Amino acid sequence: MSWTKTAYFLSLLVGTVASVAPLAAQDVTAEFLKHPPRDSWPGFHGDYTGQRHSALTEINPQNVSNMTLAWTFQTQQNGSVKSTPILVDGVLYFTTPDNIWAVDARSGHQLWHYTAPPNKAFHIGQRGVSILKDKLYYMSSDAHLLAFNAADGKVLWDVVVADSSKGQWATMSPLVVGNHVLVGASGDFDNLQGFLRAIDPDTGATQWNWVATSPVGTPNMTTGGNIWMTGTYDPELNLVFFGTGNPTPVLNGKVRPGDDLYTCSIVAIHPDTGKLAWAFQPSPHDTHDWDASETPVIADATFGGAPRKLLMQASRNGYFFVLDRTTGKNLVTTNFGPVNWTLGVDKDGRPIPNPAKEPAPDGRLIAPDEGGLTNYRSPSFDPKTGLFVVSASPSYSLYFSKPADGAYGWSGADYSLWSKGVLEAIDYKTGKIRWSHPLGHRAGSGVMTTDSGLTFTGDASGNFLALDTATGNTLWHSGSGGQIASTPITYELDGHQVVMTSGGSVLYAWTLPAATAGSSVASGK
Amino acid sequence: MNLPRKLTLLAICLPVFVFLVPGSEAQNARPGAGARPVVTVGSQGPIPEHAKFTPAQIEGGKGLFLQNCAFCHGKDAGGGESGPDLTRSKLVTSDKEGEAIGAMVRNGRAEKGMPKFNLSEPEVLNLVAYIHSQQDSALAQTGTRKGVDISDLQTGDAAAGKRYFEGAGGCTKCHSATTLSGVASRYSGLPLEMRMLYPRDAKPKITVKTPAGQTLTGTVEYQDEFTIGMKDAAGKFHSWPARSITYQIDDPLEEHVTALSKYTDEAIHNVFAYIQTLK
Repeated sequence: MSWTKTAYFLSLLVGTVASVAPLAAQDVTAEFLKHPPRDSWPGFHGDYTGQRHSALTEINPQNVSNMTLAWTFQTQQNGSVKSTPILVDGVLYFTTPDNIWAVDARSGHQLWHYTAPPNKAFHIGQRGVSILKDKLYYMSSDAHLLAFNAADGKVLWDVVVADSSKGQWATMSPLVVGNHVLVGASGDFDNLQGFLRAIDPDTGATQWNWVATSPVGTPNMTTGGNIWMTGTYDPELNLVFFGTGNPTPVLNGKVRPGDDLYTCSIVAIHPDTGKLAWAFQPSPHDTHDWDASETPVIADATFGGAPRKLLMQASRNGYFFVLDRTTGKNLVTTNFGPVNWTLGVDKDGRPIPNPAKEPAPDGRLIAPDEGGLTNYRSPSFDPKTGLFVVSASPSYSLYFSKPADGAYGWSGADYSLWSKGVLEAIDYKTGKIRWSHPLGHRAGSGVMTTDSGLTFTGDASGNFLALDTATGNTLWHSGSGGQIASTPITYELDGHQVVMTSGGSVLYAWTLPAATAGSSVASGK
Repeated sequence: MNLPRKLTLLAICLPVFVFLVPGSEAQNARPGAGARPVVTVGSQGPIPEHAKFTPAQIEGGKGLFLQNCAFCHGKDAGGGESGPDLTRSKLVTSDKEGEAIGAMVRNGRAEKGMPKFNLSEPEVLNLVAYIHSQQDSALAQTGTRKGVDISDLQTGDAAAGKRYFEGAGGCTKCHSATTLSGVASRYSGLPLEMRMLYPRDAKPKITVKTPAGQTLTGTVEYQDEFTIGMKDAAGKFHSWPARSITYQIDDPLEEHVTALSKYTDEAIHNVFAYIQTLK
């Protein structure tokens, strides 16, 4: 009897057990990524929407206080885990700069660990790997794209995405769409051209390259617009949505007059051609390092009484935007905390920068600070309550720039004076804040919501939190002992829901007691 | 060779290094006293006396700095995303052979967002070598230097600042020229202006009533949703589940946060001009 036939008979025999413990390996095709099963989290955002909202409901507001630890995994690395693990076929894959681990999701047992060769690029964070079929895709600190055999961690190919010796590096988890691996690079200490590139998942060959800004050295034109973070994808429109980085020079806007397109922009791009469909610019002529890299969350929801294809972003510059993602037309622009750098909002919904608030030799008081009202940490959209939940950092800072600071790279200085952390639940239809939950100082965790009405995040003291999405009240917490710098995920394993978080350099797998109970150790007479 | 003579000789040699070999950094370059205005490092004390390191250590430190430090402190240590300009850092100026920088690297400064790094002793020394060399070459610059100088901050009107301090600013609710006397002797330049706007090391006071009916006062040492920790006058730490006690926190810094939402840039520069007179 062949193995498949055995599996078939077994599934007939054990019935329900087989349905929660599938015997067939998951085949991560392009279609699979459009509809990830509940026992997977196969990309940075889980699915393509960027909502970080899960349909799982086993853990709910009534029982979440019983949630208990299934296992931890110690990376034994410096710094904090900033990646979102992906889960396929019962294996978790996650990263820190120069490191990838494959770990058994049932036990935390390490299957393999890749360490990159020494390199001098910035090591500020690594957001995670991506998968298509049997290959993992990883951006190295020095901006190469590497493909790995997911089974054993062997490098299959390695292509240079950007020349790190010129100043770009990488942190992003690639976005896999159809037959494309979409990547960009990071950096703003050098005047370089930002780009989004499509790479062939089998060969590593470049398919197309979209540039955000003019070639380096074009007079009066900005450079920058780097793409630091994973975008989102609408299969119906066949458009990908990415946020672009800030212009360079960063704090000196004099040498790059005008809006500095397409920096600090949300761009909609055809994944098969690299052609721009539309762009919306949250921060025209930015001089405060407020990239628009934050997740462009997509949702099909009611707006103005009719169903609409929406895109939402809580941007680093302090504004929450709702757009129609078919056209890029703005529907809502509101600030979700203190901002003092604008003269209002223009007819297209874009904030109008106040020239008097550009960095100056004697300093300008600016809200928010350079870290922004929010940053790379993921927000979550809960379709049931219509709440967009984001970890925010109300803040003030001083910005300086003078001729001696030049027109290359940073070109000035900025100093944060004060900041705090607060989780804001924004009503997407109005931009109004429905509830706020204090997090202490500036917090580093992203947000995940679930269909049972839970919001998972972390505070600035390193506590994992589960809140009631309707009210923002705390229902469960546990101290992680480290700085939380990633976003929680959730998935089903062996028929039970697991919540996966990280604090410091340690991963934590949480379940209800039922999921860990009932095991017995045979004595083997 | 005694130190003053060495300095003079270096001061003579330096321009050659700096101008004829662009990009090369004279190792541990230390200019003579006249090579920079006293204000270059603010109130940050005398010219640093850094230990000697080898070019290999500086080069090794540069790689480590790029990997671990440059995002926040800038590639040249002159400031970047959220981290201060180390070439103007009092801590770097005071550091002789890594004792201060090494402690900062190993322990971090969590309240300011500086993580701790688990590096080997030789790696820490390499980092120290690079940071020293960057400060030395920054101090060797003549003319206008990048970064924030005290002279950049002198655009305010002290008399108008005094009026704001005593009037619209509401500063006299807590402060007076007497209570702030000497503040401009202890701090100057950007550190003084930042303290003026938000003196982040001031700890909130707390009064706690315990379930047993005891009343304790002290400073807040730890606070999250679930736990309150305080230090009493004797320096002893106490903590409670937040729900089990009643407590009142007196945070004078809340007034500073409120003030931040009201200040114009002009008012800041004026009040700073006034504060600078409180020597």
